[in-house]
Amino acid sequence: MWSHIKSAIRNLLHKQQVESELDDEIASYVAAVTDEKIADGLAPEEARRRALAESGGIEQVKQAVRDQRASTTVESVIQDVRYGLRQMRRNPAFAWTAVITLGLGIGATTSIFSAVYALLIRPLPYADSDRLMEISQGWPKVSTYGAPLISPDFVAAQSSLRSFQSIAGFADWGNQNLTGAGDPVRVRVVRMTMNFLPILHVTPVKGRNFLSSEDRMGGPAVVLLSHRLWESQFQSDAAIIGRSITLEGKAWTVVGVLPAHFIFPDPEVEPDLYVPADLDADTNVTPNTSVLMMRAIGLLHSDAIMQQAQTEMKLFAETRAKGYPALLGSWAKDREIRAKPLHRYLTGDDREPLLILLACVGAVLLIACVNVTNLQLARTVARQHEMALRGALGAGRLRLIRQFLVESLTLATLAAILGLGIAGAVAWLIRRGGMPGEFPSGSHIAELLQAPFGKLSAAVQVNGWVLAFTAGLALLTTILFGLAPAIGASRTDLRTALQGAARSISSSRQQRKLRSVLLIGEIGLAVVLLTGAGLLIRSFVNVLRSGSGFDPRQCLTAEIKRNYPEAPEKTTGFVQQLLTRLQALPGAQVAAVTSALPLQPIGPNSVVVPGDGPLPPRTQWPAVCVISVSPEYFRAAGTPFLRGRSFSDDDNAHSVPVAVVNQAFAKWLFNGDALDRRVRTNIGAKDVGQFTPRTIVGVVQDVRYNGPEGGFRPVIYLPIEQAPQLSLNILLRTTVQPGSLSSAMRKTVTDVDPVQPLFDMQTMEERISQSLAQRRLIMLLIAAFAMLAMILAGVGVYGVFSYWVSQRRQELAIRLALGSSRPELLRLIVSQAMRLILAGGVIGIAGAWFLDRLLASMLVGVKVHDPVSLSLAWVLMTLIALVGSCVPARNAARTNVISVLHSE
Amino acid sequence: MERNQANLLQGTLDLLILKAIGDGEFHGLGIARRVEVITEDTFKVRPGSLFPALHRMEEAGWLKSFWGESENNRRAKYYRRTKAGEHQLGVETEQWTTISRAIGGALKTT
Repeated sequence: MWSHIKSAIRNLLHKQQVESELDDEIASYVAAVTDEKIADGLAPEEARRRALAESGGIEQVKQAVRDQRASTTVESVIQDVRYGLRQMRRNPAFAWTAVITLGLGIGATTSIFSAVYALLIRPLPYADSDRLMEISQGWPKVSTYGAPLISPDFVAAQSSLRSFQSIAGFADWGNQNLTGAGDPVRVRVVRMTMNFLPILHVTPVKGRNFLSSEDRMGGPAVVLLSHRLWESQFQSDAAIIGRSITLEGKAWTVVGVLPAHFIFPDPEVEPDLYVPADLDADTNVTPNTSVLMMRAIGLLHSDAIMQQAQTEMKLFAETRAKGYPALLGSWAKDREIRAKPLHRYLTGDDREPLLILLACVGAVLLIACVNVTNLQLARTVARQHEMALRGALGAGRLRLIRQFLVESLTLATLAAILGLGIAGAVAWLIRRGGMPGEFPSGSHIAELLQAPFGKLSAAVQVNGWVLAFTAGLALLTTILFGLAPAIGASRTDLRTALQGAARSISSSRQQRKLRSVLLIGEIGLAVVLLTGAGLLIRSFVNVLRSGSGFDPRQCLTAEIKRNYPEAPEKTTGFVQQLLTRLQALPGAQVAAVTSALPLQPIGPNSVVVPGDGPLPPRTQWPAVCVISVSPEYFRAAGTPFLRGRSFSDDDNAHSVPVAVVNQAFAKWLFNGDALDRRVRTNIGAKDVGQFTPRTIVGVVQDVRYNGPEGGFRPVIYLPIEQAPQLSLNILLRTTVQPGSLSSAMRKTVTDVDPVQPLFDMQTMEERISQSLAQRRLIMLLIAAFAMLAMILAGVGVYGVFSYWVSQRRQELAIRLALGSSRPELLRLIVSQAMRLILAGGVIGIAGAWFLDRLLASMLVGVKVHDPVSLSLAWVLMTLIALVGSCVPARNAARTNVISVLHSE
Repeated sequence: MERNQANLLQGTLDLLILKAIGDGEFHGLGIARRVEVITEDTFKVRPGSLFPALHRMEEAGWLKSFWGESENNRRAKYYRRTKAGEHQLGVETEQWTTISRAIGGALKTT
């Protein structure tokens, strides 16, 4: 085998030498035979003549040698490729159309595949990742899933769930202030169990993991650093182990540094610092147990026992519920504890949109293939004569098919190269689509968390697998668009084709039918895609249009968190100083602080009891979102008052406690009429039972939290002086371009408190844009694919009818000669086209009606089967297709009767 | 007696060439003459089948070629059997013996 390959390479590379050696060899053979004949007594002339005659023709011998050379097949394929390229040069319009059409199709498909591969297919970067499960609790009756476990359950699960080799967990400790190492910064901290890293087979690159003696209630203050924090904040200090750092004003000892490429297995959290979980070993739940919410990851003994594990967890949940106090009775009712693959957990919500995108690009690719098939079919007819001639000269049927396929493959390869370029660009867009803010956070991963598809987006790139996929696509498209024409062409009946050579050959009935069906199909697909794009665009507009309750223009925002614990007076003192200085900045209009900015995630963080009567039992205290704001907050945010007044500087710690509520709150507790009503709150109180009565002095419009698609929840706003919280986010309304005040704001904070980190500084508009990144990217991509599909389908109509017209020039000319008017001809052709276009439209609408439910979860403010989107898609496609058919029709109507009839 | 080339059994030519070369070195005509000699003129090998066979066998690694001087002081391409060629000869001889024994037996039965 090897010697064959060697010979083949030699034959191909040193063709001239091989040939001249063959010449010499045969010549020397003939000479030797001649010598023999002379020796036998013949005259030299005669001897040579006989020698040549006996050898049966020198050229034939050489050809016989060449035919069995190892490189023959390769050479004839190269010939086919050359021939194909020559054909393309001769017909550049066809070649360009085909390559660009297919290139767009392949490019779109490859780019989405690169995302699908990176996010859904590629195994997670942990050993045994197929056995890693995320364990969570959920309430199927109210469709709530994926909540973390409470820590006593988690500790109990660690020892009692037998299906798992081990169970590790972490609790998000949120953002904390790190001081004493460079500038004060805010870092994300998680509390994790000591078996968390081992379960992922991750070992620190420096130092060690937590010891079991450290991972216990009241254990020592030890900390593991992420590699990027070690680099950025500690300048990769080699002597970091054992060094003390200050977190939340408390000293911690560094025991280790994690590897550089470690990605934390959570879609939303990428910690900078890790501390021991310090869980209470007591698994009993009492009314006074303080619990941590633990995200649990379990390593199954084998992935075959998933079912067994689910059963075991169901039992476990029931057993645990029996031990709960009555207070948790309703909470534990109908609760399920379940496991799902960690991969699913990490890619959670991104799965569906990605698969939909993949389906869309698949449709675009299909349309591209249909177009090229139609072009090829048309060309086959034009090349029937050539095929017949080749057949007559002895080319076998397989040889003809092969030549066609090689030509198609050449086209597909060129298209694939173009497609890879497109894919690279789109992959970049998906990676960088998060639109890094004006003020980068300096952390690569932190920015990636904001990418449209989360932290795994970093892996979206054109890699080996994607290249293989593209190559596969090129082959697939070759078969899709090349095979039918190739078989059709090879079936040419030699005699008819050669006889009919003088006249133009028209396509067979069968081919015409195939072309019509393909055309109807692509119009239908384009209508489906356009409908999807319409639904998503309308949803996007609805998201933008839905009242947000604040004015995002000219707002600079940033986050601050004070160290826990802090005396209330100290917090309010800081706020007062900060606001006075911010207010004095040139270009500042109004400065305010709030414990939660609009769009930020919030949830019920306290309770509120309406009225003055006796306190209801503890289980009936309504949970609510409490946001503490400075007096000017509503003016700074641009949130309009519906009734009553805002807070003033007089609403301080010594005055009558007051509150402002939003519409949702007013409706929820007071049927909409909340002004001057009384509520009791206990936020900030030492004892949960110690309530402060408050008077509602104002009602504001609902403001969107939890992103631009979050619903309106009841919110109660309290004056920050009366209920200080540690989250103090700055909202600065400016008279100048807000970004220009960023360094001034940073300096102001440092001036007031040199160890106070300020982070996540963004304009309000950037926050909106960021939170819409995924929705916008998906909408843009699907809209782009739909436009592409529509244009391709239009080009398809144009192609088919141009061909149709070119085939029927004589007929049209005769019609004209017999008295048809030109408008009649135009109508004839357009009505032909219209039949196909209408059929395509019907199929498209039916398809869209059936398929648009796939988008249901992404729709806002529109319903599936939206008549506006459906009819717009249909009208748009019909118009484009009509234009596509009108151009050839007009050309036909301009037919010059004399010249056409003469040419026959 | 001259046999029609087409009747030459597929593979027989390779066997004869490998056998004819033996451990010596021959150019094309030399090999053709050797075959004639060892088959007692039953087979006449024409260049149209000789050279394709020689090239094919060389590509398969059974023969090795080099340029040398012929008896008449002409430049000629010589062929020599390789180790692989020797092995191939063994294989083909065995195959041929089996076939000829089988056919011989079949013809003897009445």
